[in-house]
Amino acid sequence: MNLVRSRRRHDRTGVWLSLPYVIFFLAFVAYPLVFSFVLIFHRWNIITPMEWVGLKNFERLIADPLFYRSLGNTLTFLVIHIPLQIAVALGFALLLNVPLRGRGFFRALYFLPVVVSGVAVTILWQQLYSYDYGVLNGILASVHLPPVPWLVNARMAMPSIAIMATWKNVGIYIVLFLVGLQNIPRELYEAASLDGATAFRQFRHITFPMLNPTVIVIVVLSTIGGFSLFIEPYVLTGGGPMQSTLSGMLYIYNQAFYFGHMGYAAALGFVYALVILGVVLIQKKVIEREPAT
Amino acid sequence: MRKTIVYGVLAGGAILFGYPFVWMMVGSLKPELDISSLSLLPSSWSLHSYTAVLGKIPLARAFLNSVLVSLATTASVVLFGSMVGYALAKLNFIGRKLLYVLILFTMMIPFQITLIPQYILMVKLGWTDSYLGLVAPSMMSAFGIILFRQFFMAVPQALIEAARIDGCSEVGILVRVIWPLSRPVVLTVGLLTFMTSWNEVLWPMMVVRERSLMTMPQIVALFTIGGEAESQLGPLLAAATMLSLPVIVAYALFQRQFIESMASSGVKG
Amino acid sequence: MVLRLYRTGPAVLFGCAVLASLLSGCTRQSVTGDGGSTGVELMYWPSPNAQEVELADTMVMRWNRLHPGIHVRMQPIPVSQSSEEVLLAAIAGKTTPDICSNIWPGALRDYTDAGGLIALDGFADFDSALGSRMPRDLLEAFRSPDGHFYQLPWKTNPVMMYYNIDLFEKAGIDSPPRTYGEYLADARKIALESIRGGQNSVWMGERDIRPIWVQRLFDFYPFYIAASNGRTLFRDGKPDFDTTAAAAVFQFFQDCYRNRFFPRTFFQGGDPFFLGKKATHFAGPWNVAATAKFAPSMRYGVVPLPVPDGHQGPVYTSGDYKNISVFSNTRHPREAWEFAKFLITAEHDLLLLELADQIPVRGDLLKNPVFASYFRKKPVMVKFAEQAPYTRGMDPVPDLKEIFDGFAQVYERCAVFGEESAGQAVQDALRRTELIVEWNR
Repeated sequence: MNLVRSRRRHDRTGVWLSLPYVIFFLAFVAYPLVFSFVLIFHRWNIITPMEWVGLKNFERLIADPLFYRSLGNTLTFLVIHIPLQIAVALGFALLLNVPLRGRGFFRALYFLPVVVSGVAVTILWQQLYSYDYGVLNGILASVHLPPVPWLVNARMAMPSIAIMATWKNVGIYIVLFLVGLQNIPRELYEAASLDGATAFRQFRHITFPMLNPTVIVIVVLSTIGGFSLFIEPYVLTGGGPMQSTLSGMLYIYNQAFYFGHMGYAAALGFVYALVILGVVLIQKKVIEREPAT
Repeated sequence: MRKTIVYGVLAGGAILFGYPFVWMMVGSLKPELDISSLSLLPSSWSLHSYTAVLGKIPLARAFLNSVLVSLATTASVVLFGSMVGYALAKLNFIGRKLLYVLILFTMMIPFQITLIPQYILMVKLGWTDSYLGLVAPSMMSAFGIILFRQFFMAVPQALIEAARIDGCSEVGILVRVIWPLSRPVVLTVGLLTFMTSWNEVLWPMMVVRERSLMTMPQIVALFTIGGEAESQLGPLLAAATMLSLPVIVAYALFQRQFIESMASSGVKG
Repeated sequence: MVLRLYRTGPAVLFGCAVLASLLSGCTRQSVTGDGGSTGVELMYWPSPNAQEVELADTMVMRWNRLHPGIHVRMQPIPVSQSSEEVLLAAIAGKTTPDICSNIWPGALRDYTDAGGLIALDGFADFDSALGSRMPRDLLEAFRSPDGHFYQLPWKTNPVMMYYNIDLFEKAGIDSPPRTYGEYLADARKIALESIRGGQNSVWMGERDIRPIWVQRLFDFYPFYIAASNGRTLFRDGKPDFDTTAAAAVFQFFQDCYRNRFFPRTFFQGGDPFFLGKKATHFAGPWNVAATAKFAPSMRYGVVPLPVPDGHQGPVYTSGDYKNISVFSNTRHPREAWEFAKFLITAEHDLLLLELADQIPVRGDLLKNPVFASYFRKKPVMVKFAEQAPYTRGMDPVPDLKEIFDGFAQVYERCAVFGEESAGQAVQDALRRTELIVEWNR
């Protein structure tokens, strides 16, 4: 009785406390969403009046080779980035899961690139990747190997960016895998040892399946990250050579801010958002359904 | 034996992730011609790269802008996040369910869809080239609210009832009972927000054209591609070092909290 | 107390926000509302670079002395963004000046579409004012698709070929190349023979290879105009390339990169032309002053751009035109037009040459005795003056940036990396241009 009354008395406080967010939501989430639906059917350079063009932005998108190019580039990035990230993160996580002195130090160091600004990391890698003066080609030259055209070759540029992104982000995923590993019940391994399972079989049949939720998180986060790729190609390559590093976000930015096509940029963003949601849903389905091998 | 191998691999990892930063910092202090060498011992130390950058772009101003923007964003996200989080976790009010669903929905929307309309909103409000434009769209975070809500759910109801019986208002409970308890979650949300905000570069590039309002990553990125470095490596490395140093220092101080907050964000996100 | 503060916190924040937006609205209004004085006052925006500000200052001072009833105020175009963005924003916000002398013909269409400019041929003396200054066919190039003239052609920077005389003489060549064939043959002598240990020490030429649209205004575009005897990319608002000429240009640049006459990477540390590492350089007259500054002892010459073998007739090129327009916001169109004519008198064209080393768009540069002493002092500028009548600008179409972005992509693919044939490149560029025009119609 008393509780019910007190609850009712507090109703309005809850509303007041939430009000700022409601206003924020209306201004910066709901309004942009609604406005996006308006914008995608218009041509607009912000300055002259908006002009209704119906589905023309989408007709253009379907015929736009650069849209497909940016999708393909993102795919190239993901196909290299995700497996590499999982392999490297899992490897280091397994090593760091062994009770050793100085684990904390190594974990902290591997995590360092995560916190540093992407711009700084990109400048750093620009120097590592430089064809004539770069550190990496310097190392190759010292063991008498030919230089690699990291960023100046259209086939190498996106893989190079994927490697850089892996280096930057892998620290997060090492930590996630460590959390996942520590959540696996000891008893499972003990039972398996009693059954005489080898270390490899234990990994295959216990560790890896138990890490499945972590893998989903990593795949989804990396995918979203891959679709948001912007500053890396913007600074490193400007989208070249030959559009091989033109990412979706970079293309949206160029359409909006170089060419002043706000409507088309909004349509690109809209389609990209649908693609991201679709890809993530499929990934979740596929990984969850995958039988524990 | 096995231990040695493990340590060997771990040390290799340490070089892989640590050496480039050391090379960057040392490189920024080397004379221009020495930089591309792998060695960490320059023939002489020089601050020339730093004076060169500072003479070309207003980095000190950009640093202040970044500090201001990141602190304002962080304070706002923590303040409003804890308010809404508390309301969602402990109060019963009309529309609570709906609000929670809206917040979850917000987290699911890819930012690509709202980015251009948000920019246009800034133009319409006349907030481009202003601090307000830099801060406003990230003043609240759905994710922050969710973290606060989860934390507050675990606060014992008895504690809150006791405060109510003492005649505390709900806001009073939030300020006097809940906040003192929430150091861990404030630190998590605060660090995450600060780091994201400090490193954000796409949004500033969209809303700010005026040099004196540019944030540090933005001005350094434009310096890099704009040719003001005149193809010299030293000034670039100096700019990158100055850009990363504040975060590296913060990381050295709060290393454990950084890692834990990122881990928790990954698990839930 | 504390509690109240927190409760009102958001309200205060949003209050600030509203206030801020109101304030920004106010400042804008005060700008438009200041022509309220009784006498006629004109606002004039010149380009913000130092030489042109000095030029504008002098001309405005002279005008104000001669016309006490019509006061002109000069303010350089605000520099924070590009001139084109600033002007468009000014048109949108109705905060334009009365007159501006930094109108890029490539953006003219955007201004007229927004209704920002007045047609100058509406003034009775338009023909007499311009007819004496420039040949009719050159003037025609500045007519907008609706048949009117919204710009007064003022000055240009024709792109020509600078060449390093020492590098040519060292290779045993005594005259600069006039055709692609000669250019490539000379390149063989100059660039190939400089290779030591797999590295060129001298290049025949060099261009920024990044796919940036503005770079194509200094290689593909002037070369195309030269090869096509002065054609531009559009006719009557529709894409209409001289495909043979365009293909010849792409083929020429492809040959330059494929044979290692041009580098495929960036240069570190300064323009290689000034360092004596590049034998030819394509640039406008502004480069004369830059060379005097960065390579004062270099011996160089200036000649028209190379053209395809067997080329007939004069060699055209592109020029970065900057023209004068009057904005439709003005309350004194008549007075603004008088001031515009004042800016293009022979006396002021001479001042333009002397202060800024830029070429006035007029037919009598080399005949009129007013200019004779200037050209005696700076003989290299004669070359640019001779080139000026054979200089074409940009087509008056919207979205030129995006169209040139398409050319930049094709240039990279075909010329720099040689991954597609010149004929294919032209087809790709044409299709891209048609698509952009189609989308934006």
